[in-house]
Amino acid sequence: MVKYIFKRLIISIITIWLLATISFFLLRTLPGNPFQTEKLLSVEVQERMMAYYGLDRPLIEQYFTYMKNLLRGNMGYSLKYTNRTVNSIIASTFPISAELGLRSLAIALPIGLALGVASARKRGKAVDYICVIVAVIGVSIPSFIMGSFLQYIFAIKLKILPVSQWQTPAHTVLPTVALALSLMATLTRVMRASMLEVVMQDYVKTAKAKGLSEGRIVWSHQIRNALIPVLTMLGPMVTSVLMGTFVIEKIFAIPGLGQHFVNSITGLDYTMTMGLTIFYGTFLVFANFLVDIAYGIVDPRIRITK
Amino acid sequence: MSNIPIDLPKDAFSHMNAGSTESEIITRPSITFWADARRRLFKNKVAMIGLSIIIIITMLAIFVPIFSQYSYTKQDLTNTNAPPSIEHPFGTDSHGRDLWVRVWVGARVSLAVGIFGSVIPGIIGVVIGGISGYFGGKVDMIIMRFIDIVMCVPNMIYIILITIYIGTGPVALVIAFALTGWMGTARSVRGMILQLKEQEFVLASRTLGASSATLIFQHLIPNTLGIVVVSMTMGVPAAIFQEAFLSFIGLGIAPPIPSWGQLANMGISVFRVYPSQLLIPAVLISVTMLSFNLFGDGLRDALDPKLRM
Amino acid sequence: MQERILEIEDLHFSFDTYAGEVHAVRGVSLYVNKGETLAVVGESGCGKSVTVQSVMKLIPTPPGRLKSGKIYYCGENITHYSQKQMQRLRGNEMSMIFQDPMTSLNPTMRIGRQIAEGILKHEKISAKEAKQRAIEMLKKVGISNPEKSYRRYPHQFSGGMRQRVMIAMALVCNPKVLFADEPTTALDVTTQAQILELINELKEELGTSVVIITHDLGVVARTAERIAVMYAGKVVETGLARDIFYNPKHPYTSGLLESMPSGGETGKTLASIPGTPPDLFAPPKGCAFAPRCRYCMKICQEMPPEATELENGHSVFCWLMHPQAPKYELPGRKSRLKTPDLKGDL
Repeated sequence: MVKYIFKRLIISIITIWLLATISFFLLRTLPGNPFQTEKLLSVEVQERMMAYYGLDRPLIEQYFTYMKNLLRGNMGYSLKYTNRTVNSIIASTFPISAELGLRSLAIALPIGLALGVASARKRGKAVDYICVIVAVIGVSIPSFIMGSFLQYIFAIKLKILPVSQWQTPAHTVLPTVALALSLMATLTRVMRASMLEVVMQDYVKTAKAKGLSEGRIVWSHQIRNALIPVLTMLGPMVTSVLMGTFVIEKIFAIPGLGQHFVNSITGLDYTMTMGLTIFYGTFLVFANFLVDIAYGIVDPRIRITK
Repeated sequence: MSNIPIDLPKDAFSHMNAGSTESEIITRPSITFWADARRRLFKNKVAMIGLSIIIIITMLAIFVPIFSQYSYTKQDLTNTNAPPSIEHPFGTDSHGRDLWVRVWVGARVSLAVGIFGSVIPGIIGVVIGGISGYFGGKVDMIIMRFIDIVMCVPNMIYIILITIYIGTGPVALVIAFALTGWMGTARSVRGMILQLKEQEFVLASRTLGASSATLIFQHLIPNTLGIVVVSMTMGVPAAIFQEAFLSFIGLGIAPPIPSWGQLANMGISVFRVYPSQLLIPAVLISVTMLSFNLFGDGLRDALDPKLRM
Repeated sequence: MQERILEIEDLHFSFDTYAGEVHAVRGVSLYVNKGETLAVVGESGCGKSVTVQSVMKLIPTPPGRLKSGKIYYCGENITHYSQKQMQRLRGNEMSMIFQDPMTSLNPTMRIGRQIAEGILKHEKISAKEAKQRAIEMLKKVGISNPEKSYRRYPHQFSGGMRQRVMIAMALVCNPKVLFADEPTTALDVTTQAQILELINELKEELGTSVVIITHDLGVVARTAERIAVMYAGKVVETGLARDIFYNPKHPYTSGLLESMPSGGETGKTLASIPGTPPDLFAPPKGCAFAPRCRYCMKICQEMPPEATELENGHSVFCWLMHPQAPKYELPGRKSRLKTPDLKGDL
């Protein structure tokens, strides 16, 4: 197990280094400079700004400087928000995105899993059909479309919830639900398939032959084993929640990190894009890393073999 | 000694010499894998509905722009944000462009990006995964380590970086998808090849004198192709979603070329006043993704050899 | 007459599939006496597993369906017991071990808990006592270091050890009947002998009746007092082991015995029964074995034969038993059955 964790850790670190390098060279070798678009700055001013941010040095030198700073956790200054470091922007806005993400995971996980179990247990019955249909529709509607519709119906037409912003708990309802729905649908599908697989396993018959009650078999023999494949889905799910925050924050004007990321891309704020790419990359790599460890804990077979 | 009450005619006990000829005849005709899969797919109503919708949308995407009197770029500033009418079935946008034409030109872009963005990385994945699994050894190790490292970060991050670098547009998108999307397929194809190489039926077939061609066409292809085809089909809605997502955050497809994601992005800015401008591309994105998902589900059920009875 | 623990009367059990109804069990009658071992023998797909699993009601409905027949446990009619009622019997009064010990244990639960969970279900004792009982049982089935093994997961054991764990799990509540569904098929030969030995020992010690399902006549020879031979969803012949082995009356039984290799005879081609069992989607109207039978008569293809009772509870379902039928001498086991010294195999 220790060896396994160590191996995964090494891979994770290489990945982050690779991502940082790729994003550095891709974004720094883009034609033009980031100040061209700004309201017609004179060439001199542009050059002075380039020098100020160290962008006139040789690329390799810039790379090592950037990497050295990155190792200390310093991602440099934003090119658009004067005098704000990428770190400070992350520190002030990421908690909002994280709250949005965690809220939707907290809704989607229990409901999605419960629906998956219910659907599998009632296979071929009306409940199952409804769950399957709702789930396939759910995975087919992108969260930004779901978000806009929820906003239109509940905020603009019915006026029962605020249109945008992130202040009172009421403000959080629509964005959270918009983000949670497709996640819930995915979970329902995965859990249903996994349960159907587990129900046919021999050990379920063994448990039944022991005289265990139906509820006990479902709980301690079926669900626990069915959760293993779902756990592997958690990594991609965290990713999709994160991607979802980009668009949901844009629609609901939530001052989270996702919106900053999108704005940095469209606003050609390269240090910011680079910093946030590396931040997101690192975050997801470690999220996956934790999921892998959790997987090893839940499935004892992994612990020994790897 | 006997407890059979009835007295039977003498010839009832004449020897029949039934032998084994009769029992050797296989009663049920054997069905080939593909014929069986096709039958199962065609019987699946939901999958067929999905397929029909895909065909209808494709037809509209091909023919509407050819026969429409408007071009997707022609602006009419005297008639902006018009509601749907006979003249403009989907209304016009903020530049007075006919949305009916723009939506179906957008469909061409979105479908093309969706299909090529799924099939091309799929093919690359099959080739690389096949090489990795077939040759094994060092090649396999290098490819798999590379995939392990790259796959730690989700595709979308690489796609965003690549599209920032090579620019927007359908071709750029497909390139970005092709560069990043093959790894999952490669990994699973490799796994399947490794597994199949060790399976008893392959060994059995080899022992029975099957040629490599028979092995490849009878065993390896039906057993991997099914899964690959299903994953490519499921990749189409994923690619359509990614296009919409990227266009929505300002990457992906840029104006004036319309795509569904791009139209939705434009629609968002005005949808509080003119909801139909978002509604139409949004419904089309969702319906198309849904149809591909339904068809893909049907395909998966039809091709899963384990389910065959 | 001995006390009958279990009695099955004319059991019919079908599966409803997309392709139609599969008549898996078509009128099986069996009984098990207290403390004896009954072997149910037949080729795969003949309905032997379905028969015992339907007694324990382990087959979900749908697709499975008990069409008719009666099942008595200790004289009580349990045919229409609900799943709730069955839960009290399963594990406690009757239990089962399955063919593949690799897949029959829950991979994510420690084996100790898997054993203790059955005790806790049936007996009002504390978790600690249950653990103690489980450890004792592990010791009894020959698992070394039972305290440590209690905390292990199934994948940490070999196939034979897992089957021992399965046996421990099945017998921990002292059931009156143990169904062993091909308990040794998935194991290698030396382990097979050990497992059979263990089942025999525990049967003696605990006074359990055993129903062993197998297609391996060697297993039968080592364990069974009585035998029921099944073919295509029906019992074709049943009786004491020695009667079945040395004086088979059904051509199928005789064929099975002939196709069993016996030590000492070299250079002889091993006999086999030509043909394949019938399709149970559409069972034949006459005797199911008729198409493969060397002695097939016209009547065999028309009507299913009924039971002919011989001495010692030996009964045969074959038209050859009819007084009007021609008489043949069916070959049985020629050499004396060698019951190998089990200890020698270990």
